[in-house]
Amino acid sequence: MIELEYVLFLSAVLFSLGLFGVLARRNAVMILLAIELMLNAVNINLVAFTVYLSPDLLVGIIFAIFIITVAAAELALALAIVLRLYRTRSSVNVDEVNLMRW
Amino acid sequence: MGMEWAWLLPAVCTGAFVVVAALGRWLPGRGSLLAIGAIGTAFVLFWFVMADVVGNGPGSFSRAWFDSGDLTVRLGMRVDKLAIVMLGLVSAVSLAVQVYSLRYMRGDPRFGWYFALHSLFAASMLALVLADNLLVFYITWELVGLGSYLLIGFWWERRSASEAAKKAFITTRIGDVALLIGILVLFKATGTFELSQIFAMAQAGEISQTTINLSTVLIFIGAAGKSAQFPFHVWLPDAMEGPTPVSALIHAATMVAAGVYLVARMAPLFVLAPGVLDLVAFIGLTTVFIGAALAMVQTDIKRILAYSTISQLGFMMLALGSLGFTAAIFHLLAHGFFKALLFLGAGSIIHAMHERQDIREMGGLRSRLPATWVAFVIAGLALAGIFPLSGFFSKDDVLFSVLDNRGVVWFAAGLIGSVLTALYVARLLYLVFLGEPRSQAAREAREAPLGMTLPVMALMAPAAGLGLLALAWGDYDGFGSFLVFLPFGSRPFEFHGAVFWPSLALAFSAFLMGLSMYRQTGGVAPALVRRRIPWLLTALDNKLYLDHVYQWTVDHVVLVGSRLVALFDRAVVNDAGVDATGRATRWSGLVLRYHETGLVSTYMLTIAVTAMVIVLIVITTG
Repeated sequence: MIELEYVLFLSAVLFSLGLFGVLARRNAVMILLAIELMLNAVNINLVAFTVYLSPDLLVGIIFAIFIITVAAAELALALAIVLRLYRTRSSVNVDEVNLMRW
Repeated sequence: MGMEWAWLLPAVCTGAFVVVAALGRWLPGRGSLLAIGAIGTAFVLFWFVMADVVGNGPGSFSRAWFDSGDLTVRLGMRVDKLAIVMLGLVSAVSLAVQVYSLRYMRGDPRFGWYFALHSLFAASMLALVLADNLLVFYITWELVGLGSYLLIGFWWERRSASEAAKKAFITTRIGDVALLIGILVLFKATGTFELSQIFAMAQAGEISQTTINLSTVLIFIGAAGKSAQFPFHVWLPDAMEGPTPVSALIHAATMVAAGVYLVARMAPLFVLAPGVLDLVAFIGLTTVFIGAALAMVQTDIKRILAYSTISQLGFMMLALGSLGFTAAIFHLLAHGFFKALLFLGAGSIIHAMHERQDIREMGGLRSRLPATWVAFVIAGLALAGIFPLSGFFSKDDVLFSVLDNRGVVWFAAGLIGSVLTALYVARLLYLVFLGEPRSQAAREAREAPLGMTLPVMALMAPAAGLGLLALAWGDYDGFGSFLVFLPFGSRPFEFHGAVFWPSLALAFSAFLMGLSMYRQTGGVAPALVRRRIPWLLTALDNKLYLDHVYQWTVDHVVLVGSRLVALFDRAVVNDAGVDATGRATRWSGLVLRYHETGLVSTYMLTIAVTAMVIVLIVITTG
């Protein structure tokens, strides 16, 4: 069986990619995708810990299912916002959405 | 009706104060009659209370007042013979003075308020002498001070009157703070405010000697402030700015006696602190001399009497410091009556002289004011200690206790004090009543109306005959057995040759010498003194420079100190504290707002970096 460390490493790489995406991308849809990547990196972590450390309890797996549900709902909401943004600005570039500042 | 009703005495006067102050303008006589009725009732009640105490012995009555933690403070009174003597003095003199004021203050715009204040003062003083508990005592003590302040500044439109009121209040306040600290020191040591418990613990040796010494010194400082002892005496002459009847009541007969009463009341504690008694006697003797010397050179009739009061209060303190507690209280009683009489007489003179108080403008008033003359002679001779007037007996008693407990040197000093007393009495009597009138006002002076002479005459009887109380007659064993201070036994009055002859001879010859001296020179100060020792006269004219010293102290110590405090307040508390906090908040807001770029990536970056830093901290610190 693959060691736990490898799985955690995979999760860390995925999380970092997601973080990079969130920070570097300007396109709102791409940022949403990057966020999904981060959430799923966390899911991998939770599932891996459950399988490797406490296979009888399933806590992490249940948590992962919750996160998937919340992510789906959140994504639906976020896409609606992106849609409104596109309707008013004809663009989904987040750098142009900076009205709320000093 | 017995002593359990003694609280009614202050209660009626308090009621009169409230009613007259609130509704006085709609009452007949602007409330003055109600006030007089109240003090008259108190005077009548006094006789019932006294009969009960004399018949059945002293009593204590108290009930719980409030709880605070483990401490239960009781509101109570102790009706014993010491309290009885004071009750009698206060109610009798108050009654006479208020009746006198009815005519003296007629036409004053604040006539009703005047009587309200008199009721307030009488109520506080009556409550003060009944207090069996230091907390109640302190409250009434301050109320007495308040009444005095309001009455000195009664004519506050006059700048000098409001200044004098302030001076009196602040000077006595210095003593009051010491008294409060003394009370708290006792409370800390005993855990109670009850006098009887404190005395019991002190006698059982449960209070350390240091505590007793400290608390008695502090209490004595409080008493010295109220009783105008050196160096706090400076407020009393200035207090003469108040109406003359006020001076008679408060600044001669009753309030200034409160300090003497306080020391006598705390006698069981003071006898345990012999060193403090030495201090009391020494301050008393100093005050005797300073008061008498200053009374010699004053030209304002009321100020002469004020300095004489200071000097006599010094005699009382001297007696207290020489373990002559009964003598001190007897002198207090006699002095209260004859000094009130002198002040009321002075009021009649001032009235007749159209508000002139300078004795240089008087002279020859004997034929113009016969009744006042008689009153002044009786009270003046009593003050000088001439047999058989009241002052002779009390001063003799004082001098005897000094001789008995302090020795010949102190006794001789006391004798010199009484010689000085006789001298200034002679000067006062001569310059006011004898010789030729020295002004138009003196030539046209007319005797005061009956409303004013009646209370004066009423006071003549005790001023002249109070000495009888010192002697034993019938079932009564004399004042020395009536008022007994434990642990001393009764000491009936006797004519001790060693005291009687020197004091009487010296006082009498000093009196005659003074009369002849002023007859020859006719001046305000004897020419002899003016020629031989002019520096002494200059010093006395400047009140021994004490006011200058105090003024200098206020200017260079108090004001400089307060300026430093003000500077600290402005620089540290205000500028560096309050203002700096506001400025820092404002400044940080101005700087930090540039972080709010409105760009999502900025916020995200902040979150990411913060999270990493937190993780780093957690990892590195374990």
